[in-house]
Order: sequence, then structure tokens, then C-alpha cells
Amino acid sequence: MPFLELSQVSYFYPQQSKSALTEIDINFDNEGITAIIGPNGSGKTTLTKLLVGILQPTAGEIRLKGRRLQEYSLAEIGRRIGYIFQNPDQQLFCTTVNEEIGFGLIHQGGEPEAVREKVDFYLEYFELTAYRNVFPLHLSKGEKQRLALAAILANEPEFLILDEPTVGLDAYRKKLLAEYLRKLARLNRGMIIVSHDLNFVMKVADRIIGLEKGQICWDSLQEGNTGHEA
Amino acid sequence: MVIVLCLSTLALIYNTPGRLLLLLAGTVILLLILRLKLGEFLGYIRKFLPLFIFLLLVQSIFTRGGEVLLTMGTVPLITTKGLELGISVVLRMMVVIASAVLLTTSNSRDIVLGMVHWKFPYEIAFMFSVSLRFLPTFREELSNVITAVQLRGVELKKVPWGRKIALYRCLFFPVAYGAIEKAQQLSIAMETRGFRAYPQRTYLRKLQFGSKDYVLSLLFPVATLMLILLQI
Repeated sequence: MPFLELSQVSYFYPQQSKSALTEIDINFDNEGITAIIGPNGSGKTTLTKLLVGILQPTAGEIRLKGRRLQEYSLAEIGRRIGYIFQNPDQQLFCTTVNEEIGFGLIHQGGEPEAVREKVDFYLEYFELTAYRNVFPLHLSKGEKQRLALAAILANEPEFLILDEPTVGLDAYRKKLLAEYLRKLARLNRGMIIVSHDLNFVMKVADRIIGLEKGQICWDSLQEGNTGHEA
Repeated sequence: MVIVLCLSTLALIYNTPGRLLLLLAGTVILLLILRLKLGEFLGYIRKFLPLFIFLLLVQSIFTRGGEVLLTMGTVPLITTKGLELGISVVLRMMVVIASAVLLTTSNSRDIVLGMVHWKFPYEIAFMFSVSLRFLPTFREELSNVITAVQLRGVELKKVPWGRKIALYRCLFFPVAYGAIEKAQQLSIAMETRGFRAYPQRTYLRKLQFGSKDYVLSLLFPVATLMLILLQI
């Protein structure tokens, strides 16, 4: 059974006559890295927002592990799918970097010692240790992006959706991120990446989907990347 | 704006449910005359419903006086005076909300021009219009934070009250920070474009006060003053 199934999904933004997405039929398995590419306004972010239940389809149906997505609460979806917003400012809300990474774990009843260990690991991995007591919104764009990633990954969701994860990252950190995503894919963690960064996509993706004017124009597999190694 | 000020003043001065109900009815009729969608007003009322119920209960329980309507053992819980006060508070808020809906008939630029016409300093008028313009943005930001918190696996409805307070802090910080940051960026952008560089400024568009405007601007304050005098 596919992890996420979309059948005949369409979406219209309120008070707009043109559809943002039209009759999308696609499945995503919980393995490998799928990249969604396309020009601005092609519906990439709308599609990801539908997949995590932030938006509800105007027509069609989305299923998560065989169950209709509407039957899950946002929190239930969040425990299964980690979602990185296009703008990290929208998902940082704690008073320190430390707290931000541990937030989900603490609220899901994690043991304090285990939470501390995991927070330390992600602080170190994303080179944020020096900022552990800093107010997250005071960080630079790239640091915020790394923090958003760390905060979502710390929750260990089964599946990841990353909307423009490389924006604001320098070449070295893009390389680190690519390595980490490959590592996650090898651990059978599926993910979707929305990106304009074709170099990054070509390096990490097993499957590339092209969106244009709200419709899928192509869907192809790439040889030699993560999923095939897994 | 004059009408909104008059209606809000009357809502604050009136303190009996009967008069407040009449004022609310008058405000709703005014909304209908001005062809405003009543649905928008009802939408706001629906959003504030939990607050109304909370206020009604608090006022009813903590105000003593009049006939006892409900007791818990020997302790009077709800009295006629308390209930009256609770209903008055809720009706007062409804009038303020209904009159605020009137502001949506003008865009923020017209409000600034109107205020300048009434000899308000331009800076004050501009600040007022900016605060109106940013309200939808803040609402969107708040909604984004609520979504982000839930997507981290937190069932907001199931969080116990003690921890809810800590969560509300999470909702407050990014929105407040965003507001300050936006204000700073806006002030820099405005200054680079010559805001207050010269004492005189020109307006591309001028509001023309018609006879109807003069009549209404005079009629409402006079009527309000008379109603206040009658109340005393």
C-alpha cells in the first residue's frame, strides 16, 4: 500500500477562478527521495500543503496509509509526516534553539534524558551548538533553515516533506543536507523535496516529478541515487 | 468613522440590557442600510462566542444583588443583577463589533484621507491605517504558528490547562516579534522614500465631502449627545 495516495485531487484557492492543481493522480511510497520541480506558481507548495492537511482538496481524495487524510488531526499527520515550510520563520515559535528542537519530543512525553541527548545530537549535526540559547528568530536565514530541519527530524517522522530545503544554505551545508537525506532514505524513510535547485535534486532524488500549471507533466525515475542503494 | 465612534461611545455609556439591545438592533439596521454583508458580522460573533459565554458566566456568578435565581447549597450562584450585568457586557461587545464592521466600507487610504480632512496629524492617521492593514497579516501569522505547533505532533485541544499557558507563549512570541520586525522594516522603507522629509505633502487623491457626509457627520454626534443627556 502506498504511504500517500492522491486520486483526482484538484484545488482552487478561494476567490480564484483558475485551479492551482487539476486532477492529480499520484502515489508516494515510504522509501526513496522524490523531488517535485516546476516553475513558480505551478502548484508545488499547494501540493505539499494538501499532503499534510493544511489545505483541503476542492475535489478528489488523499489517503495516508490507506486512511482518508481528513480522518487524521493535524497533530496525527505531524507525527507521521515531518513538514518543512518554505519560509522557516513560519515554523519557529520557541524562545531558544534548544527548546525548538526538543519541543515535539517533550510534548509527546519523551524522557528528559533521551530528549536532551537527541537535542544535543541535532545541535551538533546542524552546527547549531553555539546558538543553543539564542532566540530562534534572531538567527540568519541559513541557520533558521537548519534549525527548522533539526526540529522536524528530531521528531523522527516516518515521512518527510521539505519545501525548498536548500534556500539560504551555502554549498558546504547543502552537501551536509544531501548526505543526511541520503542517510535517512537508506533507513527506509521516504521523502518529498520541492526545489528549484536542480543540482541538488539531481544529486539526491530517485524520482523526479515535473509540475506545470497545476498538472503533472512528467514523472521519471533516476538511476544511481539513494533509493536504489537502499 | 464618526458613526463608529458614536455607536461605541453609546455602547460604553448604556448599562441596561434593554437599551443595549435597542442600540444593537439600530447598528444592525445601519449595516443593512449600508448594504454590508450581515454574514461577516455573524462570523465575528461566532468567533467571539466562547468569550461571550465566559464573560456571561463570570459576570453572572461574581455579581451579587437582586433576586437569587440559582444556588449551590446555601451559596447564591446566579442573581438577577448578575445576569443583567452579564447580558449587558455581551451586548456591549456585540455593538462594538458590529460598529467596527462599518470600517470595512472604506479602504485604509480613504481612512487616512478622511482623518487628514478632520485635521488629524498625518503621522497619526498613517499609523492608524497601517495598524488596520496589518491585522489580516497578523491573523495569518497566528494561524501559521498554530498549524506549525500541531504539525509537531501536539493536539492543542487535548493539552492540559497548565501546559496550555506555556503553549500560548509560543503563539505570542513569533507574532509579537514579527510585528516589531515589520514595523522596523516599514519605518526604514518609509524613510528611504521620503516620509516626513518635508513638512508639506501633496495628495494624489482628495476626498470630497458631499452634503450627505456633512449631514451624517453632524447628525450622529448630535444624536449621540442627546441620547447621552437623556440617559443622565
